[in-house]
Amino acid sequence: MSVSLIHTFSGHRDKCWSIDVDRARGLLASVSSDKTCRVYNLNTRRLVGVLDDNTHTKTMRSVRFKPSSTVPALAIGSFDSTISIWSREDDDWVLMAIIEGHENEVKSVDWSHDGVYLASCSRDKSIWVWEADETNEEFECISVIQEHEQDVKNVVWHPSKNVLCSSSYDDTSRVFKQDDYDEDEWVCVANCQGTQGTIWCADWEKSDNLRFVNCSDDSLVKIWKKTSPETQTGTGATLPSTLKSEEEWVLDATLPKVHTMPVYGVAWNSNGLVASCGSDGRLAIYQESNGDWKVVAVQELSHGVAELNCVKWWNDNTLLTAGDDGNVNMWMVSLS
Amino acid sequence: MSDVINANPTVLDASLLPKRDGVVLEKNEDSLVYQELTELSLDGLTYTDSEAEDEEEGFDSQEIYDLISTISDPEHPLTLGQLAVVNLADIKVIDHQDKSQIAEVIVKITPTITHCSLATLIGLGIRVRLERCLPPRFRILVLLKEGSHQSENQVNKQLNDKERVSAACENEQLLKVISHMLATCK
Repeated sequence: MSVSLIHTFSGHRDKCWSIDVDRARGLLASVSSDKTCRVYNLNTRRLVGVLDDNTHTKTMRSVRFKPSSTVPALAIGSFDSTISIWSREDDDWVLMAIIEGHENEVKSVDWSHDGVYLASCSRDKSIWVWEADETNEEFECISVIQEHEQDVKNVVWHPSKNVLCSSSYDDTSRVFKQDDYDEDEWVCVANCQGTQGTIWCADWEKSDNLRFVNCSDDSLVKIWKKTSPETQTGTGATLPSTLKSEEEWVLDATLPKVHTMPVYGVAWNSNGLVASCGSDGRLAIYQESNGDWKVVAVQELSHGVAELNCVKWWNDNTLLTAGDDGNVNMWMVSLS
Repeated sequence: MSDVINANPTVLDASLLPKRDGVVLEKNEDSLVYQELTELSLDGLTYTDSEAEDEEEGFDSQEIYDLISTISDPEHPLTLGQLAVVNLADIKVIDHQDKSQIAEVIVKITPTITHCSLATLIGLGIRVRLERCLPPRFRILVLLKEGSHQSENQVNKQLNDKERVSAACENEQLLKVISHMLATCK
């Protein structure tokens, strides 16, 4: 397998922290410490919008397109502790809402698969779940989750279920499930421990499976999964009643070590490939065959000497990476 | 600051601090003021032009020492070099001939007392100074020297968390204190 650079989107004047793709519309959004968000058409590679009206007074840290939205819509989380919501009307990006609630830096935002919920997390150790209305103007906080002991670095929703995975400075990733009886209640069903360092990012397998990949400061990339009831060894029956909500989640695999420095971004595509990137400038791609994970491609110095902060798949053979050089690089992944 | 955390630190004689042989320090006031202004500017990814001449040979630990030993202690009118918080022997540089490769600087600092609550601030000051002065190929690791502090792991984790450091650099109060510490840098 080979990776080749096919385009560089440049324009940010400072670190680019986060990118997202609206797959249905072929749009790319990138956010930066320069406090702007740039939106590109991926097909024409043209810049189609710049959100730079000083809505945020500090770094824009995280950006996500709203899925199943009638018009293109974005959520942006900022170090200024707020989240902004934007919609494209005619040819303009319009600020629809500013969501306040976190005490300090918002580190990550993500929409649930159907766009009904928005999750956000912060250095204040909490995760907030917001319910969005159709117009993107009203957001109601339905739950504040305070399970982590330290900063929550990342939140990511399952691609088809109301299940949320969070990762933290407390060296754990946790999984939350919507309660069967009270849909405003989010129950912690997994606390994945054993990592030696901050977990920076996670992404779900693109299927109905409950399996995710995460990456950490100790330069490792790991896969975690919920054990299926058949393979459970009967320990469930002996759990005290208060722990009944706990499911059994286990470390499924530690991917072959490629990185030598903190790994900041990880992404799983619908074809089963996992990509990771980080401080060492490497972009790595892994593939699973018969339960074994292999490294199938490594790109060195993918943003020159700059660190990589984020990786996203546009489609099964196109990757996008964001770097401290302010650039977004587009990569063609060819099977050979 | 109301309470001085270490009232009687050990102080080294400035003339005995490690220097490269034959280096004469310039005392041109005009250029000093100019340099201070440019080094304190917060505009994005710029670093000082003086690195252009260093580019030829790469950086060594003495150059890193020169950049950070002149930072002022947040509570004493003394530099980190004079207080032996920063020591030449505790600076490691991995810089390659090929400047298109990633380089590393590891600085181990020794707080004057093991419960120094200013250790994080001092470390942050060093990070900020190095981030502003070194070219982007450098990865900077600032650590407390083994056994020098009771919350060693906690402080180390915080000092080397890229996201926390970035956010700290957008905190105006904190930046003001750091700018004050860096004002004595040559």
